[in-house]
Amino acid sequence: MSTTTEPAAEAAPVKTGPGAHPPPGGRNRGKRETVAVQHTAGWLFSTPFLVLFAVFMALPIVATLVMSFTDFGLRNVTDPFSAEFIGFENYTKLLDDEKFLKSLFNTAYFVVVGVPLTVGLGLFVAVLLNNGIDRARTFFRVGFYAPVVTSIVAIAVVWRFVLDPADGLIAGLASEVGLTSPDFLGSEALAMPSLIVMAVWRNLGTVMVLFIAGLQAIPPDVREAARLDGASTWQEFRRITVPLLRPTMLYTTVITTIGYLNVFEEPFVMTQGGPSDSTLTVSLSMYREGFNFFHMGYASAMAYVLFVVIMAITVLQLRLLKDNTK
Amino acid sequence: MHRTARTASAAIALTMAAGITACGSSGGEGVAADKKQTLTVWAMGVEGEKLADVAKVYEEANPHITVKVTPIGWDVAHQKLVSAAAAGTLPDITQMGSSFMGEFVELGVLEPVDTKTFKKDDFFPAAWEQGVADGETYGVPWYVETRVLYYRTDLAKKAGITKAPTTWPELQQAASDFQDKAGTKWGISLQPAGLDAVHSWYPFLYSAGGSIVADGKAAMDSPETVRALNEYGTYFDKGLAKKSFQPGYEVLTDFNSGDVPMFYSGPWTMTGINNDYPDLKGKWAIAKVPADKTSSSMAGGSSLVISKDSEHKEAATEFLSYLTDTKGQEDWFKRSGDLPANTSAWDSGELANDANFKIFREQMETAQSWPVLSQWTEISSKADDAISQVTQGKASAEDAAKKAQSEIEGLVE
Repeated sequence: MSTTTEPAAEAAPVKTGPGAHPPPGGRNRGKRETVAVQHTAGWLFSTPFLVLFAVFMALPIVATLVMSFTDFGLRNVTDPFSAEFIGFENYTKLLDDEKFLKSLFNTAYFVVVGVPLTVGLGLFVAVLLNNGIDRARTFFRVGFYAPVVTSIVAIAVVWRFVLDPADGLIAGLASEVGLTSPDFLGSEALAMPSLIVMAVWRNLGTVMVLFIAGLQAIPPDVREAARLDGASTWQEFRRITVPLLRPTMLYTTVITTIGYLNVFEEPFVMTQGGPSDSTLTVSLSMYREGFNFFHMGYASAMAYVLFVVIMAITVLQLRLLKDNTK
Repeated sequence: MHRTARTASAAIALTMAAGITACGSSGGEGVAADKKQTLTVWAMGVEGEKLADVAKVYEEANPHITVKVTPIGWDVAHQKLVSAAAAGTLPDITQMGSSFMGEFVELGVLEPVDTKTFKKDDFFPAAWEQGVADGETYGVPWYVETRVLYYRTDLAKKAGITKAPTTWPELQQAASDFQDKAGTKWGISLQPAGLDAVHSWYPFLYSAGGSIVADGKAAMDSPETVRALNEYGTYFDKGLAKKSFQPGYEVLTDFNSGDVPMFYSGPWTMTGINNDYPDLKGKWAIAKVPADKTSSSMAGGSSLVISKDSEHKEAATEFLSYLTDTKGQEDWFKRSGDLPANTSAWDSGELANDANFKIFREQMETAQSWPVLSQWTEISSKADDAISQVTQGKASAEDAAKKAQSEIEGLVE
């Protein structure tokens, strides 16, 4: 925290210093006092945030880390300090836990398929809305963004109706053309793809809005120059739009990946992790261990494994998608 | 937390110093029942809203008592109670769902019930058992529920079924008759997988004389339990019940359309059918759970508990007596439709005369509840897994039971 507030606090006196009246004791001491005052003011101004951050973020984060090395269970809820330290036992147990490994695999599946789809479709829609569609542009923008701000419970109700194998929307359309619709959420093979489609639909809006902003920041003269040189639409997209969108692309990819690695709501409301754990994700598994079974220590260890995975993947992405044009 | 703890200990110290002259009943510390005081009560869902009306009536009769009822949604109830237990801020009286009890006993935040005031014999045995852990009673049964068989009488006629099935073979025969002769899509609706699939399986389990945990030991691989698991599985093998599971599945839609002619459910479904599907009037009936060894269903419901930290235990006990005696229970049934846990409330009025309630009463007499254990959620989830293995045809009943047995053994010991 101090690293971000101090430079600002130090930079300020240089500007205001000469204007302020220095006390007769000499310039240097006065400056130091002003700096001290500025420091205090800076700290005071950031106190509300710092307190909130410390109590609701830093403390739980540290507590979870400590907890992951203990056997914290139901009994310790009323008497937290009687939990016993068991070293890395929770972590070693995780490696043998079939359910956890399966949930890791499921989460990876969700991310590997879901993120490229979301980013790709988001880009496609953004480009369309930016130059293709002229009429009813706002209508489409709102339409694509609406799922982002809709409550997951409402979404679940609608999607269950869409996917219902007996009298759902897809089943109805399929029967019109004489086909039978598969049982999307009831089948082990189709449950996860169904959730991915739903998540892509739900998160497309965020990505789209970011890309539209990015597209509008691309200077028109660059495009114009390309067109004068005879670039086709595809070449313009491939050589101008995509490279110049790289920073936005990096941001959306990282944010979407982090979001998808934490995937919880979709399986929680749609499938409860089933059928046969085929949609059990790390977060859902963690929630069950922690809040249903009260293995808080074990769930904390899961949280930290997920944290390390997220961290590693984010760093990797930042490396790979770094803006090389500068 | 600190303040309540300090005042509570101060109160205890004071009464001890005074030599406890007041009264000899248990829970003697804290404020006497006839002093002016406020009772805090947490109740869940609809009960929370309806209880406030009862509290008003009680306040009128007992002007020195103020009852503050806080309704809590079932979806957040567990979280809220656990955090209140951790912070020491539980109310004087709490409604406790039968699946929560074990955890809160383990947390040591509940006051044992005075068994002189509340007598075991007044209540359904399975209702009383829901409040007993390690030989100590912590909850007073408030209302109960049990599962019975609902079926379509009009479709039964079509299928040539003349009376409700009373045994397992009859039930299976009826299910296939419904499918073959009345043309229903399924024979019966049973939950194939997912959370709490056990609830749908309990009528089979208990009727076979099996259990998941018996006398503190895992009993998943007992012959009775395996038999029940196997029987449950045959409905899916033979295509009599739908294999795939959807969370939030509403059976009444299919019951109404005639796709599902039979299912197991609790008393609330009677209200559900009457309110939402008036067209079904006269086309459905309920029957006792078809028997194997016996006809035994699952018992659920809620108890009321008093917090250990409460300073108003005497007044709380009085309020609980008011809620759970014959009159209070009759009144509560009229207000909420919840089935009374106190058997004497069933001796008159609608509960005694209505044919359907008679079935519920008979079923409740033999119903069983799961043991009060702190790890119950986890144990029953292992049974859920076993059920889904069997219904999805991934394992035989024996193998699934064996796997669950070893997992549950690790949890209870």
